[in-house]
Amino acid sequence: MHGATLVATAVPSPYAATADALAVLVLLSEFGMLRAPLSRSQVRLYSFQSLVVTGLAAFVAADRHIPGLYAIAGISLVLKVVVIPAIVLRLLRDARVELVPSHRLGVASMVLLALVAAAFGIFVIGSMSVRSRSLPAPALGLAAAAILVSFLLVILRSDVVSQAIGFFSLENGVSVASLVVAAGLPLIVEVAFFFDLLVAVVVFGVLMRVHHERTRTLSTTVLDRLRG
Amino acid sequence: MLGGPELNPTAIQVLQVLTIVVFAPLVSGVIAHIEARLQGRRGPRVLQPYYDLAKLFRKETLVPEDAGWVFVLGPVVAFVCYLTVPMLIPVLTAYPLPLGYMGDILGGGFILALAGFSVALAAAETDAPYAQLGSSRAMTFGALIEPSILFITFTVALVTATDLPYFEAAAARASLGDVLRPAHLLAALAFFLVVLNDTGRIPVETHASTLELGMIDEARTLEHSGPLLALLRWGAAMKQLVLYVILINVFAAPWGLAGTRSAGAVLVAIPIFLGKAVGVGTLFAVIDNSFSKLRLFKITEFMAAAFLLAVLAVLVLFLGGG
Repeated sequence: MHGATLVATAVPSPYAATADALAVLVLLSEFGMLRAPLSRSQVRLYSFQSLVVTGLAAFVAADRHIPGLYAIAGISLVLKVVVIPAIVLRLLRDARVELVPSHRLGVASMVLLALVAAAFGIFVIGSMSVRSRSLPAPALGLAAAAILVSFLLVILRSDVVSQAIGFFSLENGVSVASLVVAAGLPLIVEVAFFFDLLVAVVVFGVLMRVHHERTRTLSTTVLDRLRG
Repeated sequence: MLGGPELNPTAIQVLQVLTIVVFAPLVSGVIAHIEARLQGRRGPRVLQPYYDLAKLFRKETLVPEDAGWVFVLGPVVAFVCYLTVPMLIPVLTAYPLPLGYMGDILGGGFILALAGFSVALAAAETDAPYAQLGSSRAMTFGALIEPSILFITFTVALVTATDLPYFEAAAARASLGDVLRPAHLLAALAFFLVVLNDTGRIPVETHASTLELGMIDEARTLEHSGPLLALLRWGAAMKQLVLYVILINVFAAPWGLAGTRSAGAVLVAIPIFLGKAVGVGTLFAVIDNSFSKLRLFKITEFMAAAFLLAVLAVLVLFLGGG
């Protein structure tokens, strides 16, 4: 090729490529939650996302020989993949609400907006050039993007389940970020995070229940109506 | 490696085009058969598309009263375009053939777009409302999917520093890291969605439907008959196979291509390729049977998904790692 000025990007090692691909899956499932019409499918996507985060933790633990991470992966598997989704699904079943129309924008516009947010996160983190021993740097940018998209999920969807799932999946993004920058963190600190999450689950559970009992809906658009 | 006499590169080039021309209806027939089986029907014979073409070629051509030469020329131009693209892409060989450098991915895309444009123009030439509706819809959705194709091309350019399909395939064959890298996976997935759209499959279009109001691509050919319709059908089958080639041999599974010029290696590459194509077609048939068609105004959501994947591929590459 004469006069070619493009330089091919360096080929990542299979380990880095797989880790990055898993981080991309976390981000993609965040997008999935943003656009999913049914609350139930949002919860399932959250469960899937948690499974990917768990897999990523186990993958790092195996490849970088950090045994503490196996414990984290185990707790995360039980809590985030099984228990939390089961609780939210249970609450949904009790509420007997199938579909809450809660998109504040059209799906295509929401995806484009979230793409801008994700690009912002990726570029900001990319310009910081963080180096890590445990995970390739792109995973951090992808985690930041996932966190920003989860903010958008909370902002752009006006129902209680989206608010809760948005918050929970925010924690998933933080988990991925912590795998990059602090994989060797003491176990006790990581476990403390999980307790934070459990508190959040209880709070959101109560919130969903009270909100549904008061308004007979899961939509939050009724909240800004004045009551005389 | 398999032996046999060395083949002339030009001969291989011709063989690539012939593979597409000859086997495109067969692949369509096999997919239609599998699809019918999945639905619990017995389905048409595998060779049915050939019989259909033979029948149509024997019939007379009817031209609508107000239609002019564009109506007649459109299908022919499209057919010629579909004959040209197989020269640019790795159908049978892993190494580029002499005319492989004639155009890059964008060049191939332009030729495919020209084909779509000429069919749409031929449909617009008629006075028939459904043909014109199909023509207008096909151009609209074609424009909407275009950004995704552009970003897939950017991804290939960033990965290989060229935008030749042969190099992307070679990169994927060269190392495991290149197959697993998210940019490659995302681009492959985005291209999968593009193929889904361009071959008129669910969730965009019900390809075997007779309901005109839901049609996009299919409606364009409603006014054509006889040999012209045969050319359009054959062209559609070739377009499908060409897109499968790019999906399989550039992104998804660029293995099993001929590495040498020996007749044995090249000839063995044909059944391997056809097998892969039928595999992909089966996947499309399964998708066809497990999802429902999107409402026309929801198709933009599908396009947004393809666009998202393609843009993410480029973004991840910019991070330096992807």
